[in-house]
Amino acid sequence: MNNNEGSEYDRLFYPFLFEGGKASLEDVLAQVQHSTLEKCREIIALRQATLEHADAGIQIVAAGQAMARAFAHGATLLAFGNGGSSTDAQDLVTELLNPPFAHWSPLPALALTNDIAVITAVGNDVGFDNVFSRQVIAFGHKGDIAVGISTSGNSKNLLVALEQAHKQGLLTIGLTGYDGGKMLQSGNIDICINAPSDHIPRIQEAQATVYHALLEVIHTALEKGIS
Amino acid sequence: MTTEMEKREQSDLLAVVTARFALSVTIPDTFFNAEAKNIAEACWAMARRFHQGGRLLAFGNGAWATDAQHVAVEFVHPVIVGKRALPALALTNDSATMSGLMTGDDATNSFARQLRIVARPQDIALGYSPDGQCNNVRSALTTAREMGLLTLGLVGGDGGSIQQSQLDFCFVVPSCDPLAIQETHETLYHVLWELVHIYFENEGLLQ
Repeated sequence: MNNNEGSEYDRLFYPFLFEGGKASLEDVLAQVQHSTLEKCREIIALRQATLEHADAGIQIVAAGQAMARAFAHGATLLAFGNGGSSTDAQDLVTELLNPPFAHWSPLPALALTNDIAVITAVGNDVGFDNVFSRQVIAFGHKGDIAVGISTSGNSKNLLVALEQAHKQGLLTIGLTGYDGGKMLQSGNIDICINAPSDHIPRIQEAQATVYHALLEVIHTALEKGIS
Repeated sequence: MTTEMEKREQSDLLAVVTARFALSVTIPDTFFNAEAKNIAEACWAMARRFHQGGRLLAFGNGAWATDAQHVAVEFVHPVIVGKRALPALALTNDSATMSGLMTGDDATNSFARQLRIVARPQDIALGYSPDGQCNNVRSALTTAREMGLLTLGLVGGDGGSIQQSQLDFCFVVPSCDPLAIQETHETLYHVLWELVHIYFENEGLLQ
């Protein structure tokens, strides 16, 4: 890539870098500061849109209540995603096992991305599309909870794992971005909550708020007692 | 349970969700408006370190260990096509080494000891602590500073003792809610990653 030309993305989003000659440090610092504030406005707008879009508030409550009911009956939660979303799945799991608030009871959960021996074994022997479904087969019981986190809504290994989980009688929850992709249309996902954006970092940040809100609903519902 | 009770429970829970989202809007708004200038400076400092061959080394405890991994994957495998892959590691990924270093009576220095072995002076140390009081994160950042690394603290609450540790950059999210602090950290490290790349388009600024 020619440094003077930059990528198409940079030319689109950071035109000041390419407007005649070299930018001064002061100019670039000022523009980066400006971009920072723009990104802050983007995430604020996306969180508001996520909550208002398609009755997501009601959906989050319904998902949290169903998850609370499952936990009350002894469920274990299995969470999975790819790339940055794998760390969000692990985050959700550790917040269940080791809650951030003293009044939240620890709940059983497992991140399907933590065991690199299993991921590489299944990936190498069977294929990457099966790295999560294989573990759903091994760990999932009827009444457990499967949570798949994807920014595109189209990750094959999530679609396959959620289909498997649905077959085995797990409660299936999906978090997606963009237009929700195949996950939002899937009959195998009981509740799918979408963060309507096409910028992956912002989608992940909005999804963090969604699963943090889910945790809050789960614990509030459990504290009040589940019917 | 009557339908009336169900409806009431639903509306109570909806209020819980709405309050959580409201917090996740107001806290980043306050934080980024206060810190945008320092963030631009931090991106420039990080870009210069990467330009010198430095690597990002990230660490944190509990939920923040996942953020250490998250920031690392962003740099190593950028989601935006055309961005260069940059070296970044989460010290929490090696559970064998980490649990090994945490046995015995020097657990507080587990991250610092990893840094002493793997870090180079041109590297970047990024440590998270929700209240600024995590001793192992503070000791690692202090060690990193002594070794000449660029040091960044991503903390919350009142900044705690980490804020007093004379780091190159210490970003304090002004909140006591661990979930909102973590979400704001996530936006912050995404922004650091997205905007570090701007400086690479202008090599003259990296000398």
